[in-house]
Amino acid sequence: MNSASTPAEDLGGPRRRRGLLVRLLEGVGAAVLGVFRAWMGVIEEVGRAAWIGFWGLANAVIPPVRLRLIAQQIEFIGVQSLPIILLASIFTGAVFSLQSYRAFVTFGAQAMVGGTVGVALTRELGPTLTGLLVSGRAGSAIAAELGSMRVTEQIDALEAMAVDPVSYLVKPRLVAAIVAMPMLTAIFDFVGIAGSYVVSVHVLGLTEPEFMVRLADWVDWEDIWTGLFKAFVFGLIMGTVACYKGFYTRGGAKGVGIATTTAVVVSSVAILVANFFIAWALP
Amino acid sequence: MSGSGSASDFVDPVTGQPGAIVYQGVHKAFGDHHVLRGLDLVVPAERITVVIGRSGTGKSVTIKHIMGLLRPDAGHIWVGDDELTTMSDRELRHIRLRFGMVFQHAALFDSMDVFENVAFPLRQHERLREAEVRAKVGALLDAVGLRGAERKIPSELSGGMRKRVGLARALVRDPAYLLYDEPTTGLDPILTAAMDKLIADTQRAHPGLTSLVISHDMHAVLSIADKIVMLVDGRVAHEGTPDWFRQSDDALVRQFLSGSLDGPMKV
Ligand SMILES: Nc1ncnc2c1ncn2[C@@H]1O[C@H](COP(=O)(O)OP(=O)(O)OP(=O)(O)O)[C@@H](O)[C@H]1O
Ligand SMILES: [Mg+2]
Repeated sequence: MNSASTPAEDLGGPRRRRGLLVRLLEGVGAAVLGVFRAWMGVIEEVGRAAWIGFWGLANAVIPPVRLRLIAQQIEFIGVQSLPIILLASIFTGAVFSLQSYRAFVTFGAQAMVGGTVGVALTRELGPTLTGLLVSGRAGSAIAAELGSMRVTEQIDALEAMAVDPVSYLVKPRLVAAIVAMPMLTAIFDFVGIAGSYVVSVHVLGLTEPEFMVRLADWVDWEDIWTGLFKAFVFGLIMGTVACYKGFYTRGGAKGVGIATTTAVVVSSVAILVANFFIAWALP
Repeated sequence: MSGSGSASDFVDPVTGQPGAIVYQGVHKAFGDHHVLRGLDLVVPAERITVVIGRSGTGKSVTIKHIMGLLRPDAGHIWVGDDELTTMSDRELRHIRLRFGMVFQHAALFDSMDVFENVAFPLRQHERLREAEVRAKVGALLDAVGLRGAERKIPSELSGGMRKRVGLARALVRDPAYLLYDEPTTGLDPILTAAMDKLIADTQRAHPGLTSLVISHDMHAVLSIADKIVMLVDGRVAHEGTPDWFRQSDDALVRQFLSGSLDGPMKV
């Protein structure tokens, strides 16, 4: 089989091999280019999102103030999130005290439940869960509302009427998110600890001092402030991502759906990532 | 002439009116898609000009340029005494205060009722007492035949009603220029006739007004226009009075007027 190659195969061999090499290089090139493009896309998106976040905030000090719109959005993002925050915090506090009680009681340290729950809630669970819940509830609604305003030309109509849509639509939502998130987090912390107290004292049989002493001992103002600072950042993330996704929606009803889902996914992931880096940076 | 001057330095060859809005050699491309290719157009003051042309020829792009929503790559655009191409975003926003725009799908704010939609431009740009706002909005809703619908929200309105609300909103600050982007597309023949009449009536009721209408509806075009402009490939192919268009034996014009599949334009 080795010597009987026809002229056609003689020509075909090297050509095929060269074709393979070229194709291989092309493939690598395309892959590198693809990754490069993807990263450029990400950087461009982050840049545009940052731009809209920046202008939204800058507009907070540029008249008109639009207090009424801000108040409406605080009502929507803050007040209307109360039921879900109350429920979530009670049960988070409850289950956390239940599980830590089960662990601590085996070496007679059940008095650590109050302090553990208190620190965990104020530093981590309060801000993070509030951030995720509010992203799911209000972030999706913001993206859907702005997205449908975009695809039905309502944002163009604002422009056409010489009203800056960033000032009119983005600023109130961003400011409201930044204001509402720490408030909701504070409520989450307080109600979560209350839920923990009820379960610990009235279900698991801890005495009140057992629960309270370590709580008061371990939870510093610093823990609380750290948590509220995180909530502020999460509010900024949620507001920016939701406004950005909604504001630049394309492609009709389907585009609105995509904007809504990606707003929730991106802001949730961004909140979790930011949470780690804040925890890392702060003592 | 470039950069300075005024739209009124140009005279419209069709109506003999001075220009209110003037395009001179305007080019606009999106990437490698060259939409406007040297557009020269005089929109006569205090008249109704109708722009016709096939879907995708750049009619909406043309309108967006005078609103300053798009900027030309080359050429000049005058609105009254102002030349737009050298203006900052802030100055452009100021130019928009002189315009009213009726959107193809009305673009009403669906978070507000009819009254608040029409009152919106007043609330944003003027300090009026509530009674004055109510009087102005009421008068306009009367004019467009929607008295009594003040507290309805846009989703409760039919397409025709929405467009009329959109017209009332566009008129509420007494604009010098009124732009309509396909005001009758998607309406039934009767509503279309009603909308055409409304456009003509509006023009008559506001003597200083300059109207620019984009339309596919040839019947309306021939009945309400003072000047008709036909865009082909991002340039003015023909302009003239409705009578000129009716009598023209240009193949392109004939095909457009009759809506025929045979002719120089291919689907
Ligand atoms: N912002 C934009 N970015 C990219 N391309 C655009 C943009 N706006 C318009 N175009 C393109 O420019 C061309 C002209 O668009 P335009 O909306 O002006 O068409 P039209 O004449 O108004 O058509 P229709 O009658 O369907 O409304 C289209 O091919 C469109 O894809
Ligand atoms: Mg159009």
